Amino acid sequence: MAHHSVPLYRIAITRSGDKGDVSNIGIIAFSPELYRVLKKTVTPQVVKDYFKDLVRGDVTIYPMDNIEALQVVMRQALGGGATKTLRFDQTGKSMSALIQSLEIPLEDSEMGLVPNRPPFET
Amino acid sequence: MERTTVQTKGSAGKNTVRLGAGAGYWGGEIEAPIKLAKEGHIDYLCFDQLAELTMSLLERQRLKNPEQGYIPDIIPHVEQLLPVMRDTGVKVITNGGGTNCIAAMNKALAIAKRQGHPGLKVAAILGDNVTDQIDPLIQQGWKFTNLDTGDDDIGQIRGSIVSAHAYVGADGIIEALSQGADLVIAGRVSDNALYVGPIMHEFGWTFEPEYVDRVGSAITVGHLVECAELVCGGMSNLWRVSKEPWNIGFPIAEVSADGSAVISKLPGSGGVINEWTVKEHLVYEVHDPSRYIMPDGVADLTAVRLQDLGGNLVRVSGGRGLRRPDTLKVQVGYMDGYIAEGIYLIGRPDVLAKARKAKEIYEGLLGRSGIVPLDIRFDRIGVDSISGGMFDDPDEADVRECGLRIAVRTRTREEALTAKSHLLRVTLYGPVGLGWGAPIAVRPVISLWPTLIPREAVSVSVKMGEAA
Repeated sequence: MAHHSVPLYRIAITRSGDKGDVSNIGIIAFSPELYRVLKKTVTPQVVKDYFKDLVRGDVTIYPMDNIEALQVVMRQALGGGATKTLRFDQTGKSMSALIQSLEIPLEDSEMGLVPNRPPFET
Repeated sequence: MERTTVQTKGSAGKNTVRLGAGAGYWGGEIEAPIKLAKEGHIDYLCFDQLAELTMSLLERQRLKNPEQGYIPDIIPHVEQLLPVMRDTGVKVITNGGGTNCIAAMNKALAIAKRQGHPGLKVAAILGDNVTDQIDPLIQQGWKFTNLDTGDDDIGQIRGSIVSAHAYVGADGIIEALSQGADLVIAGRVSDNALYVGPIMHEFGWTFEPEYVDRVGSAITVGHLVECAELVCGGMSNLWRVSKEPWNIGFPIAEVSADGSAVISKLPGSGGVINEWTVKEHLVYEVHDPSRYIMPDGVADLTAVRLQDLGGNLVRVSGGRGLRRPDTLKVQVGYMDGYIAEGIYLIGRPDVLAKARKAKEIYEGLLGRSGIVPLDIRFDRIGVDSISGGMFDDPDEADVRECGLRIAVRTRTREEALTAKSHLLRVTLYGPVGLGWGAPIAVRPVISLWPTLIPREAVSVSVKMGEAA
């Protein structure tokens, strides 16, 4: 059972982009161990529940083992796409920031994997 | 920094080719790319200036004025680039020709003549406009299924179509370079064909099966640098450690004949390149990473290996690919209503209550005029303008101020103009203390219908001009 959680930004970085009404977020883990945690905990249902009305279509998650990253692809996620959406953030660049507050559950034994600072700031 | 005019010009049998990224969007600066051309020992400087909507915007301009339709920036850019191209031998490739590559080419040739670059060769890449192919293909039974929605009835928007452009591959660029072009002006080539083209040309690769992994590698490299500064610590999680972002260096890809590459930037430039910034961009705007589908091939981004060499150098290798697809992606732009939009500033006390009242007033005004919007949105900036309904509202006592943004989409321009005029009335008829500016001008909406077209229905050609 998970006893703890940390916000995603403690263990990964993110970048989002748009194609039509599809928003994607790359989630890049800080270590191979944390990538295993992400693969286990960040599921399409978790993502869809988290974004609520912002994501109306299906969510697909593709693993990128080579760079320890998840590719999260969300359909009907930009209010119709950048050209017609009424969203202030037309291209969903802020989707990468929003997901950084997603709480990732961790086991006791996994808490030691969480770095004090991102690896590129040490 | 030392200025150099030493140049390793592209030639058959060379071991590496160096490409600089000059732009990843319309509106980028020209100083950084000029610096790359002067100091980067690069063979090519490539400018991607088209987003998904841009071709339809440019087509509307061209329909109003047949001399327009290209990205206006490329004219002052060419003014500044031509002397540097002469001094360094750098060749420039842009997709800023938009929907009128011929007009842009003629402008560039006139500048070359005026500046005194006789013999300069400028190529226009044609054939990406497939608007006229839609009806014949429909009659032949081709379904222009919407890739976003699955809708296969394009007939419902047929009367509203502004333009349809295919994302064509590197073929035309390769042909232009083989004819000796110094400046290549393309329209809707895929962003990374701007890089795949010169790489394939320099190494003599073709679309035959033996080259698919190398073309896949070239697509990967193009993907990494095509948004220019976004691989150099721009728009980045590394914002705390990116040095002098105001002097951000644009990327250089040094590609080897096996398809591997090293990504770098000019010594002394700002920003940062390391394994993290390259990973950030490897994932950017990708769907299935094992099948990154481009007109020149299908790259497997899950095969790529990254090696951080330190000193703002990252090696990229292991690229793989599959043969290019039999279809090309097309963006069909069509008129789809109008948007009116305005912003208010709300101060204490009772910030959220005033926002609720303003919403009620605006909905009442629209109702009074009998306007039923296609879509309407109320954003409280500082509370939920990016997060929508994800989080509960804060306590009223904790909200110091917020912006209220109202945006509404209507069927007709007249409805949008009425909706805009009501935006002012929210403040004048409503709660005390709402600050505001003039509402933004009503704008037409061009929606996109992403779809596919058979490759054989698109014929790319090159028109070459030479400066007098």
